[in-house]
Amino acid sequence: MADFEIKDLRASVEGREILKGVSLAISRGEVHAVMGLNGTGKSTLSHTLMGHPGYTVDGGSVIFKGQNVLELEPDERARLGMFLAFQYPVVVPGISMANFLRTAMNSKRGYDGKDKSKQVTPKEFRGLLKGELEVLHMDDSFLPRYINDGFSGGEKKRAEILQMAMLKPEIAILDETDSGLDIDSIKFVAEAVNRMRGPELGILIITHYTRILEFIKPDFVHVLVDGKFVLSGGPEVAERLEKTGYAEWGKEETAQPEEVA
Amino acid sequence: MGFTAEALEKTVLQGEPDWLRERRQSALATYERLPAPSKTDEEWRRTDVSRFNPTEFSHLEHLDGLKLERPAGLPAGVILKPLRMAAREHPELVEPRLFSLVHADRDRFAALHAAFFTGGTFLYVPDGVEFDEPILGQHFSHQAGTSVLPHTLIVAGRGARFNYLDEYIAEDENETGHRSGSTEIFLGEGAQVGYVAVQKWGRKVWHFADQRAELQKDSTLRLFNVTLGGKFSKTRVEASLAGEGSNAELKAIYFASGDQFFDFHTLQDHRVGNTRSDLLFKGALQDVSRTVYAGLIRIEKHAARSDAYQANRNLVLSDKAKATSIPMLEIDNNEVRCTHGATVGPVDPEHLFYLRSRGIPLATAKRMLIQGFFGDVLDRIPFEHARKLVEAELESRIG
Repeated sequence: MADFEIKDLRASVEGREILKGVSLAISRGEVHAVMGLNGTGKSTLSHTLMGHPGYTVDGGSVIFKGQNVLELEPDERARLGMFLAFQYPVVVPGISMANFLRTAMNSKRGYDGKDKSKQVTPKEFRGLLKGELEVLHMDDSFLPRYINDGFSGGEKKRAEILQMAMLKPEIAILDETDSGLDIDSIKFVAEAVNRMRGPELGILIITHYTRILEFIKPDFVHVLVDGKFVLSGGPEVAERLEKTGYAEWGKEETAQPEEVA
Repeated sequence: MGFTAEALEKTVLQGEPDWLRERRQSALATYERLPAPSKTDEEWRRTDVSRFNPTEFSHLEHLDGLKLERPAGLPAGVILKPLRMAAREHPELVEPRLFSLVHADRDRFAALHAAFFTGGTFLYVPDGVEFDEPILGQHFSHQAGTSVLPHTLIVAGRGARFNYLDEYIAEDENETGHRSGSTEIFLGEGAQVGYVAVQKWGRKVWHFADQRAELQKDSTLRLFNVTLGGKFSKTRVEASLAGEGSNAELKAIYFASGDQFFDFHTLQDHRVGNTRSDLLFKGALQDVSRTVYAGLIRIEKHAARSDAYQANRNLVLSDKAKATSIPMLEIDNNEVRCTHGATVGPVDPEHLFYLRSRGIPLATAKRMLIQGFFGDVLDRIPFEHARKLVEAELESRIG
């Protein structure tokens, strides 16, 4: 059995059925890519997996570490080892990135203000941060800033990957991390993700375009059309999409990105 | 005994100078003459005082019951003393100013305060005198069922610069009573004054406060209110920009819970040109609490090239809490910049989801978002001592 098993997942938004039975098994050490056009259910998949309250689960299960995570609160899922890199990271005024990161790390470790031995120390925090910032070509000037406040599109996405690196998940979902990024930012993000790849981490990359898969090589590629997987296979599936787009499923759109200035 | 002439004579008039006796007697006459505000008055339409009967609380608690922290090394010439003592010893400074900004005939409660004010502080900082250490005035209530009515009068000379904190403290959170805490601030040319009022009277008292400042040329006021106490609390905050180049920053935070009701009325009165005012009132509401904010920006005819900003933001943390916000403009000059806005809403679910998706538990995430909501306005507290005090107060309430 895989480490993270999505079985026949069905979900809806405001009464509209979006996911119509999605099954996917991810083991740690693997990179899976889910590809699809806008409106096929990619965001619904990522949000449902993380427990966004705006999405209703209509059926199926997601088993991780012996638990059906669909029954858990979003923060419980995160503490169990899941991570979602948001397509659109929100700006949260009034809370600094530093406070946010530290609180998240402490929560992950089960620090509740009592057992100081579980607390991330300032030294440890700085140490962890330093290495990751270098890889992502970021500096620490963003730490006192409010969460994502005034960040460019590229900075927001890099900050997501930074959080991932600090929180060390076992299952990471990257939701269109490449969209809206220039090629340099994609490379920095890919380098950081590749550094994290290893036997402890399973990755699910959700994307519209094949470009990011040139930098983060997937082991498996799944094509999502109208809320269902229509094709699953190895990296060759991405190559096929690169050439023919989504035409064979009756969709007139390529899998090439628009140029980003 | 009630709030009567006889009571006035027996309790507060002893030893007071004639001018003050007359002023109190006149205010008492006003109190007796004015009816209680009715719901047909716009200002009181949402603010119900029908169940407030002042005579229930006619026992006056201590007359000069405040603790004044006189900073070491206060420069020569600075006068800091209980208001009633100052009225006797410095009539030339006090008489022309006392109740000249906060008018006794504004309404029945203002009149009652002017007639029976007890305790309170007088601070006079002469021209050109500056000091960093804030002056701390603490007003205590010790008994249930009483009235505690302190009044603060601050006079800043030309080019004076200093900070002042009024803290209103209940010995017992659950005592009933009638409380006020009014303040008049005079800023001379080029003066810079930071004033913070932290109202944490008991949760069952009726509270009325009138604050008004008058700003002469090129002076700057940074006024900050923190409202936490009272089952009913009504605070008026008014700045009169009377000199060119004057600048008033009016900020406030409030945190209402249980069945508390808070009312705020603000006025940014631009009487001359080249003046600036910046108002931000931010509040969080829990349980079945209610708040009303009504604020007026008035730009008078000759007040060209003035800037006025006004914002009221409410974070509503419970379905049963209710915040009402009424921003108003009255502009008689076209050559001005004015913005105003109000928001009333719950914690943003997307913010909550984002924090929780990182493993932060619901209660912690909510607390962070409430603290974050207040964050930008807390940064505007004019001095460190007050900032720490307010942060600690908030923390214990958000808890």
